[in-house]
Amino acid sequence: MSTHHRLKLPLCEQDVRALALGDTVSLAGEIVVTIGLPTHQRIAEYLLEGKALPIELHGGAFLHLSCYNDEGADGPQALYLGTTTSTRFNAFMPSFIRGYGLRLVGGKGGLDEECALAMQETGCVYLSFLGGGTALMSQALRRVVDVQWTDLISQFRLIKLQVEDLGPATVAIDAHGNSLYANLRRNADERLSGIVAKLNADRTNPPR
Amino acid sequence: MTIASQLIRSVTAKLYEISLKKIPEDTKSALNRAHGRETGELGRKMLTIMLKSADAAESGGTLVCSDVGVPVYLVRIGTGARLEAGFRQAITDGFADLVDAIDPPILKMVTNPLTLQRSYKGKGMPIVTFDLIDDADYVEIICSPKALGTGRWEAVETFVSPSLETIERYVLDTVIRAGSQPCLPMVVGVGIGGTLDYAAKMGKEAILRPVGSVNAEPLLADMEKRLLAAINATGFGPMGTGGDNTAMAVHVDYSFGHGFTPVAVFINCWINRRTRARIYNSGEVTWGE
Repeated sequence: MSTHHRLKLPLCEQDVRALALGDTVSLAGEIVVTIGLPTHQRIAEYLLEGKALPIELHGGAFLHLSCYNDEGADGPQALYLGTTTSTRFNAFMPSFIRGYGLRLVGGKGGLDEECALAMQETGCVYLSFLGGGTALMSQALRRVVDVQWTDLISQFRLIKLQVEDLGPATVAIDAHGNSLYANLRRNADERLSGIVAKLNADRTNPPR
Repeated sequence: MTIASQLIRSVTAKLYEISLKKIPEDTKSALNRAHGRETGELGRKMLTIMLKSADAAESGGTLVCSDVGVPVYLVRIGTGARLEAGFRQAITDGFADLVDAIDPPILKMVTNPLTLQRSYKGKGMPIVTFDLIDDADYVEIICSPKALGTGRWEAVETFVSPSLETIERYVLDTVIRAGSQPCLPMVVGVGIGGTLDYAAKMGKEAILRPVGSVNAEPLLADMEKRLLAAINATGFGPMGTGGDNTAMAVHVDYSFGHGFTPVAVFINCWINRRTRARIYNSGEVTWGE
């Protein structure tokens, strides 16, 4: 039975470790978003050089969500939010999770086993947000807190947002080394020979 | 009358906008059917919020997905259609108009593959392919934007005199490799035979068939049904977090070829973006999905 949690950010390690695989959550508070490869490369350089990031990530929520950021006369406005595939950033995420003690990461499609290991060590979960969920997720936008690295295109910038009731998102990798993605991949692999046998057995037309 | 390039320009812009804000009715019906047969609690929850999200985008006139993909148009020109000069340019201009005018504005997704720089335009954009329809007095334009979430998993491989087992296994393996990462449940398009470029074209066009339609070729109808059951048995489920609905449909087309047989596999995510319009010599425009 999946439980829904309304989480107020920031979270402590204990909060995060209490979340179970398959639970759903909604978030209230501050999150940092970007979907840029150049952004991840830049964060990795800062981390390596021990330089402070222009937006603090320590103990926070760092999510692979795209944001249209409009630089209007009244300051930055976030017009909408959406998800991207997190596995594109697998190579960067273990050092970010460990280096910044991230409590929440997320996007869609999951992260790999190296990332899950880092999350288990530090106390962090991966949240799967709805792909194609822009209309719903954008209702959670309250305020742009900060936008940095404006030399990059909108969705690649480092953006801190205040959100209210952002979700539901699924706890797809927990803080104990469990991953829905790894489980589903293993199940599919185990079922494959049976699936193929049925695919062939049910064929109406004989093979050539 | 002739079909004015200005009309082509405005229709191509509108097609793109509709495809970003409204998912096709057949796809909504398929998601509803998927919800009805989904036994997983989480899977049902995901399908529920998908349908809610589609409704919210449509009623709010906003984007279903922030990743608007790149513009892809399939143009079928009736041999009785009378076109003005500048037809191809009108499609390019239509996309440029859309970028300028759409509310909310769209993110830069058009990417230079050599530098990874992003913008709203570039060489080859929009992607347009052409076909002919004998005797028709209209032009049909189908818009089906493509984004990375599914595009990165599409594949083609060329076999030599393959059995049906080999072809079907390749489709299944391609989908399993994608696993939880596309926004499931997906629509799968498959092109078999011909030449490599033609197999890709067939697969791309097969994916545009209405979800729920039955293939006219009994052998392919059987293949589609079995492949759909096989893909759904993998269990990746809605949003890739587990469930009975990994795919909504498998659509297959084929062509005679030689002993070598390319098999092209295409994937659309659950929002299955697809719009179409017919523009007649009379200036009348009819809209479809």
